[in-house]
Amino acid sequence: MSLVLIVLPILAGCALFFVPRSDRTVSRITGCVVAAITFFLPLVTGNDGAISAHWLSRPFTASLHFAWGGLSFWIVLLLALCTFCAILATNMPQTRTMIALLLMLEGTMMGLFTARDILAFALFWDLMLIPPFFALVGWGEHRDTAWRYLIYNFAGGLLLLLATAAFGVIYGSTDVIGTGHSIAGAWAPWIFAGFAIAFAVKTPLFPFHTWMPATYSDTPPPMVAVVSALQSKGGLYGFLVIGLPFLGSAMAQWKWIFIIASLVSLLYGAYIALVQTDAKRVVAYSSLSHLGLIVLGIFSFSGVAVQGVLVYIIAHGLFSAALFLILGYFEEREGTRSLARLGGLGALNPKLAGAFTIAALAALGLPGLAGFAGELVILSGVFQSGYFWPALIALIPIVLASAYMLRLLQDIINGPQVKDIPERTDLSWVEGLAVAPLLAALVVLGCYPHAVTATAAAFTAPLAAVQPQAAGTLALTKEQHDR
Amino acid sequence: MIANPYTQADWNAVIPLFIVGGAALIVLLADLVSPKYANRYVSMAIGILGLIGGGVYAGTTYGVSHNAFGGGFILGGFAVVLQEVIVISAIFSIALFGAIGRGDRIAGSVALMLWSTAGAMLMAGAANLMTIFLGLELLSLGLYCLCGLADRPTSRESALKYLILSSTASGFLLFGMALLFGATGSVTLAALTTPAVAVNPLYWLGGGLFLVGLAFKLSLVPFHVWSPDVYEGAPLPVTAFMSVVTKAGTLAVFARFAYAAIPAHASNALLIPFFIIAGISMIAGNLGMLAQTDMKRLLAYSGIAQIGYIVASLAGGTDQGVRYAIYYLVAYMFMNLGAFAIVALLSTDKEEGSSIASFHGLAQRRPVLAAVMTFFLLALAGFPPTAGFLGKILILSTNVSAGFPWLAALLIAGTAISLYAYFKVIRLMYDRHAKPQALPSVQAPLAYVSMAVCVILVVVMTFYPYTPSNVLPLVK
Repeated sequence: MSLVLIVLPILAGCALFFVPRSDRTVSRITGCVVAAITFFLPLVTGNDGAISAHWLSRPFTASLHFAWGGLSFWIVLLLALCTFCAILATNMPQTRTMIALLLMLEGTMMGLFTARDILAFALFWDLMLIPPFFALVGWGEHRDTAWRYLIYNFAGGLLLLLATAAFGVIYGSTDVIGTGHSIAGAWAPWIFAGFAIAFAVKTPLFPFHTWMPATYSDTPPPMVAVVSALQSKGGLYGFLVIGLPFLGSAMAQWKWIFIIASLVSLLYGAYIALVQTDAKRVVAYSSLSHLGLIVLGIFSFSGVAVQGVLVYIIAHGLFSAALFLILGYFEEREGTRSLARLGGLGALNPKLAGAFTIAALAALGLPGLAGFAGELVILSGVFQSGYFWPALIALIPIVLASAYMLRLLQDIINGPQVKDIPERTDLSWVEGLAVAPLLAALVVLGCYPHAVTATAAAFTAPLAAVQPQAAGTLALTKEQHDR
Repeated sequence: MIANPYTQADWNAVIPLFIVGGAALIVLLADLVSPKYANRYVSMAIGILGLIGGGVYAGTTYGVSHNAFGGGFILGGFAVVLQEVIVISAIFSIALFGAIGRGDRIAGSVALMLWSTAGAMLMAGAANLMTIFLGLELLSLGLYCLCGLADRPTSRESALKYLILSSTASGFLLFGMALLFGATGSVTLAALTTPAVAVNPLYWLGGGLFLVGLAFKLSLVPFHVWSPDVYEGAPLPVTAFMSVVTKAGTLAVFARFAYAAIPAHASNALLIPFFIIAGISMIAGNLGMLAQTDMKRLLAYSGIAQIGYIVASLAGGTDQGVRYAIYYLVAYMFMNLGAFAIVALLSTDKEEGSSIASFHGLAQRRPVLAAVMTFFLLALAGFPPTAGFLGKILILSTNVSAGFPWLAALLIAGTAISLYAYFKVIRLMYDRHAKPQALPSVQAPLAYVSMAVCVILVVVMTFYPYTPSNVLPLVK
């Protein structure tokens, strides 16, 4: 059944190229129906939709094996929901082409998040770069952005490919996601390095993030909503399902690099978000900061933190998709997204302002919304497992988050109305419908995160395997420090 | 009277060559009698039928293992698979004649191409120095003429360049063969494996020169400079033919030499330099693509890098190495011939559509062609879901397991570079600011068919990665 999730959107996307270029209605309805099917299919079937076909027997065993159990289930739902909302919100020149690309993106990412085989994972990892590339070619403002996006991510994908090949040769099989036997030996750190760089580029983590702000600000709103909400999770998902179960010891060896990189991402992202004047870039850099927190949570190897990580992965997807869609509405209305030019929209567009406020508050971690649940649990997990200073440093960007999100809110919604921008229309019915599910999900998840944290049980065993060694490494580091 | 030392089985082994070579004669004869408006299609039809006949006959001998002509020609899985590759690419290349230069008679070109094909098929099974050279020269002589057949100055330049440089390479190869013969006293490859020859300096000099000759024919860096110029000047079907057939034939010879004609303890010392230049080719070929403005030149540089990948797969001399080399060769054949088919479809009677400028804004004018071209370029760059992606995974894993991780690293680096070059073309096709250009109207059903077949096979190969199992041993 999970094959439907992959094939249906891709085929529907291809089919849309045969409707006239100027069409809006047919493609929007098709897109929404397909996205809705992919949303309800995992919900109603009640199993994990596993499907498996033999692929390679030499040089290592590989299968086309897909299933939506465990963590994948929630990410699949998030992906289908975000795609649905993005398609509903698509309103631009060449709507048809954008919706076709969105559907193809959904299909490829469904493949990524349901893959139970690392080779299939690698296949979709590369494939999911193509729709955003074409979106950047077709709508992007700067010529370089598409290159930067593609080359950075494909280079990461190639390292992933090399690591996959090495993993397969050493382990004998890549049909392993969802199981777990730690790989040890001289090769393990190198294999992990290959995976880790690919994941760090995609997330993005501090030194590898430079493609991200330009990509997020240049990509049209519906596409960037899905890319920021889901594609960035590919790396985090990889750390969780490939890194922890198989390369835990290598992860523990290198954890300080990642803890430091994630702290830098947290602080640096928050600081830059504070001074950006492009509204989309503010959200882009805030994403860098938020995802840094998730990486910190993963590399603290704490069972509690991983529960928070799962919640925050979903929460970040929901609020960043909502924020980018709503910023898209503003941009469409006012023709600009410069914070210096926007202002005073709240009085005339109360519904739009209300939706924006909820999304922004979720992003800054207001209790009761999903962001808070994630942040709190991650931080307490990090603190519990003995990382006092990292936890303390990670608190600073959370304070900064309030500052930059409120600044964004204030600059757009409050303040004097800008005179030379005439047209002001409030949220239309369709536009409202496009963000309402995301906001509702934020509230539900904020009050009832247990649904998602229940899947964390799958990660307890690999974490337990890593823990003792993690403590050992920590002790060693302290010794070195003392010397 | 001298008794004929060869048995019926020996002659049966080379029947496919005779079918293909004989078809060339029929093409020439039929051209004399066929009406003017149809001669093009008569030549193409006879040529393709002859190739199909040869290919089918060769296919029936797939399970046969026979040492024909006293070890001169070895029939076995490897030879048959390589012969099929050669035959199929010749069929696809001849199909492209339908799309370009509709005013010309093509019987001569088709006949020469068939003879060249027969030469390459001989190389696929050649296992002594004489048959290797015979096959190589039969292949090359036809190509010297074919390169010069288009009526434009670059074509004549191409023919002359290829003649001079390729003859030089043949000289190296022949001198190397002479020295190898001097070292062993035998022309068979099998005789070269005796450990005693490795102490003879003639052997090392001969082996080195032999490999230089092969590197030239494979256009590995630093012996690659001829290939972009020759590809650019030659008529399009000939370029398509050369890009696969010469490489497949030479690769067969190299594989046989590397796997079965080197004393075990000497193999690293002799072959590592060859793998190093294969690694450099991956980088240099892909770098060379970046500056190109002509599709044929771009594909020439791409071929330099792709052959580097295939040669790298043979490093370590493993069973799976040669199987994955064949897999990638077949994948490369379909990706490359598909791309050439699209170039042919953009050509007019007067001019080949190989300039990259003719791809500008193609998505607006010919959306299907643009999409398919994108597919082939993605495949060449190693994007999924194509055989180029899986082939790279297979080569990477064989490199890692055979102890050549540095080749895997070079492959990754080269692929990263190639990405920019391939996507530059893709981007140009989808440029939204492109000005509308006139459409060349091309009635070339065969080129469309070969394009579609290539797309399907490149995808199918990804999910059903069959690799022939009975390729080893290469020499008995």
